[in-house]
Amino acid sequence: MKFKVEASGLRDKLSSFLATAKGSKRFVTGLMLLFVIAGLAVFEPVINAVRLGGRKPVEIGLFERGLPPSLEHPLGTDMLGRDVLALVLVGLRYSLMVGMMAGGIATIIGMVIGISSSYLGGRIDVVLNSITNGILILPTLPLLMAIVAYVRMDMLLVSLTLAVFTWPWSARTIRAQVLSLKERPYIMLAKVTNLSDLEIVFKELLVGLIPYIVASFSFSVIGTIMAETALRMIGLGPAEIPTLGFLLGWAMTYGALAQGFYTLVLAPAVLLVLIFVALNLVNTGLDEVFNPRLKKITGL
Amino acid sequence: MVSYAIVLFISFTVVFFSLRLIPGDPVMRFVDLMTRRYSYEMAPEIYKNVIEEYKKMFGLDKDIFTQYLCFLRELAKLNLGPSFLNFPAPAQVLILRALPWSIGLLGIATVIAWIIGVVAGTLLAWFRGSKLDHFLFTVAICMSQVPYYLMALFLVMLFAYIIPLFPPRGAYSPTLVPELSISFIWSVLRHGTLPALSLILISAFGWMVSTRSVAITIVGEDYLRFATAKGLKKRRIHNRYVFRNALLPQVTGLAMSLGFIMNGFYLVEWIFSYPGVGTLLSLALGLLDYNTIQGVILLSMFAVLTANLLIDLLYPLIDPRCLYEV
Amino acid sequence: MKSLLQVKDLKVYYKSIWGDFKSVDGVTFEVYENEVFGIAGESGCGKSSLVDGILRLVAPPGYIAGGEVIFEGVDLLKIPEKELRRIRWTKLAYIPQGAMNSLNPVIRIEEQIIDAILDHKQMSKRKSRQLALSALKSVGLPVEVMQMYPHELSGGMKQRVIIAMAIALKPRLVVADEPTTALDVVIQRGILQLLRRLKEDYGMTVIMVSHDMAAHAQVADRIAIMYAGKIVEIGFVYDVFEDPLHPYTKGLISAIPSIGRKYVKGIPGLPPSPLNWPAGCRFHPRCTYATDVCRSVEPPMREVSPGHFVSCHLYGEKA
Repeated sequence: MKFKVEASGLRDKLSSFLATAKGSKRFVTGLMLLFVIAGLAVFEPVINAVRLGGRKPVEIGLFERGLPPSLEHPLGTDMLGRDVLALVLVGLRYSLMVGMMAGGIATIIGMVIGISSSYLGGRIDVVLNSITNGILILPTLPLLMAIVAYVRMDMLLVSLTLAVFTWPWSARTIRAQVLSLKERPYIMLAKVTNLSDLEIVFKELLVGLIPYIVASFSFSVIGTIMAETALRMIGLGPAEIPTLGFLLGWAMTYGALAQGFYTLVLAPAVLLVLIFVALNLVNTGLDEVFNPRLKKITGL
Repeated sequence: MVSYAIVLFISFTVVFFSLRLIPGDPVMRFVDLMTRRYSYEMAPEIYKNVIEEYKKMFGLDKDIFTQYLCFLRELAKLNLGPSFLNFPAPAQVLILRALPWSIGLLGIATVIAWIIGVVAGTLLAWFRGSKLDHFLFTVAICMSQVPYYLMALFLVMLFAYIIPLFPPRGAYSPTLVPELSISFIWSVLRHGTLPALSLILISAFGWMVSTRSVAITIVGEDYLRFATAKGLKKRRIHNRYVFRNALLPQVTGLAMSLGFIMNGFYLVEWIFSYPGVGTLLSLALGLLDYNTIQGVILLSMFAVLTANLLIDLLYPLIDPRCLYEV
Repeated sequence: MKSLLQVKDLKVYYKSIWGDFKSVDGVTFEVYENEVFGIAGESGCGKSSLVDGILRLVAPPGYIAGGEVIFEGVDLLKIPEKELRRIRWTKLAYIPQGAMNSLNPVIRIEEQIIDAILDHKQMSKRKSRQLALSALKSVGLPVEVMQMYPHELSGGMKQRVIIAMAIALKPRLVVADEPTTALDVVIQRGILQLLRRLKEDYGMTVIMVSHDMAAHAQVADRIAIMYAGKIVEIGFVYDVFEDPLHPYTKGLISAIPSIGRKYVKGIPGLPPSPLNWPAGCRFHPRCTYATDVCRSVEPPMREVSPGHFVSCHLYGEKA
């Protein structure tokens, strides 16, 4: 016995979404965590300006070397006399910037390929899908590393390269969803009318895809930040973009662990983990909101 | 099988061409890097000669299609060309030396993590809704998303430096010689524990999460309902009905995730300076060792594709439905 | 006739964000030994939920909101799980709707029949295999089926396998939920005959739930008509078909196509929603004889003629 409640129009969908979203603890926690992290990143210049009196955080020798954590330096200082907290905040900001840019590009590429592949079907689908799956299965990190090693990059190029290796995830998710939506009556109805394919995609399809696009975006951000960090740890990538990964790699190369500079390694690592956890909570939460049946089954 | 060969071939070709198409000349890069690192200068004519000689040795003086054919030919002979790292030792020697360590560590860790995760996942689904389930599930979700190398960092920091329980680097104590003795094996085990744990702790939780979801859908299936109606013993229902059916997608999942696991694993090796393919790659990247880098990339792809093929071939053994269609 | 199963005021509800779906809202009936008892009604009237309730197979978001199910003197809804498990299959078997999905796809048929046997009775593997074989034979399946996997069998064969499983331990009561849906007519006949044989040759009691009135006509001894979560009429099949009392029953029977009748009459309107059953007699919005009392007061179940009960104001306190 089924009982459908028709939510017509975007506004209704939005309000019903918000209502159910509030019920998902995971979603709310994740979102709050995200806000805190994003807030830190956005206000980083202000925070650092206030704390360091207008000097750049990466300046060497601002403070005494190797100070343990204290009120003035909550995370201590590193072996070059820089305040670890300031460094970490800068790293956070750049990590998020690269992550969002690369993640955005990856999501867009994934959307384009995913939608065209499933919507147009036929041979195009076979080819595109094989490519997507191929990239997904194969270990692409070494190749990514090789490319970054040999080519000098700026932020845009780095983001692009990262995106090129991360788009298959979103492509696959979106393709699956479009495939299931394609057979729904309202799409078939739209096809019968005079709307061009592009119009159908934009007006009808996209609305149903929004949750999947958001999910793809968070996955892509996670993926690109992970890849970027991996690159950095080995020392690859532009040194002018001090992301959290860069910080970690630098710390490892200069033996921070052996010298006992634990906060220098812990802080970026913990922040990275927090970013991942937050994004994942949001994702799982989104999943539960849009699949209430799943929620019942998982017994929240 | 045929598609396997095709994909393999295509991926090799793609790798080859993308590496060759990178702007810049790898030989020149390498020589420049060396001059910078070791601070010596070369007169321009000598510089040119050096580059020419190297190029010839690496076969980079011909046009790209001839290079491609040479590449394929040499590949068939399993010859990857001379490496920069240990010049003039050919790259494949380096790789083959590092390979057993990687396969051993990665293979064992992956299998252990998978087994733990799948068994725990079905158990969690069985007890879904209980406090244990809720707690472990939340833990699993958070833990499974931590990248392997970050976990490696934590572990190294905690158990190698702060509380020195395990050695922080290497595959075995440098004072020992590889032989089949108890002390050597013990040393290998000790050195391998932290790297393996970095993988297992995260991977197992990941498998737990996905298996639990699969198992939960199975529990909702009609045949599970019928099994309960039959009044079967709970353990039998769990083993035969839930577990056996949950296994199937997880095996496919294992095959598909190998590439991903490998990606993360390279970094773990590097963090522990474990003498496997991952550390080799990092060193090669630092030195811009063209052939070694290429070799490692090709090897990884080959390994993953082969593993996929093997699992595809073995799958009908556990899923009778597949046998029928084959 | 001895009573085997008594269902008293059973309620099965489903939780949802809009409220409770009252799929089974106070159902009471009795099943006697060695009869085929049919439960009929439209799709969505709560028949399957009723079966779930009787067998205690209700899964969240559904829950049993009240009532008793007394089988051989024991209330199935109240006994501990262990005891229930022992009663299941040995005394009380179930043939679910959609046999296609009820078989474990990765285990051979033989194993699936035997595991039920072995989990209930102590016996050697060999003996259990013989038991399984004889069960298969009695449903008319060849020996080769034992080694097959479910996907190698046709729909009808799968249904027979399920029936074989159900009768292997010679239970006293077999509950069959839509045993003939999704099967073609020829196979249907075979299954129905099989069900009949269960009662006649094996002395079992069968409860058959189906929306197919023709099936009930062929096989059932007594029949209960269900509508909107409640039973509206119970009686011997012959009585109910020859002289349907409840307007709904009349509609159901006239909806059966048969050779000779010119046209098929349906029942106007749509079934009501379990969220919001109509007040009074639940059928009143679709009933051509509805009066004021029907709209406000729920009619009690009255015995209008021996063994023939109905819940309708048309048969009130009158001579």
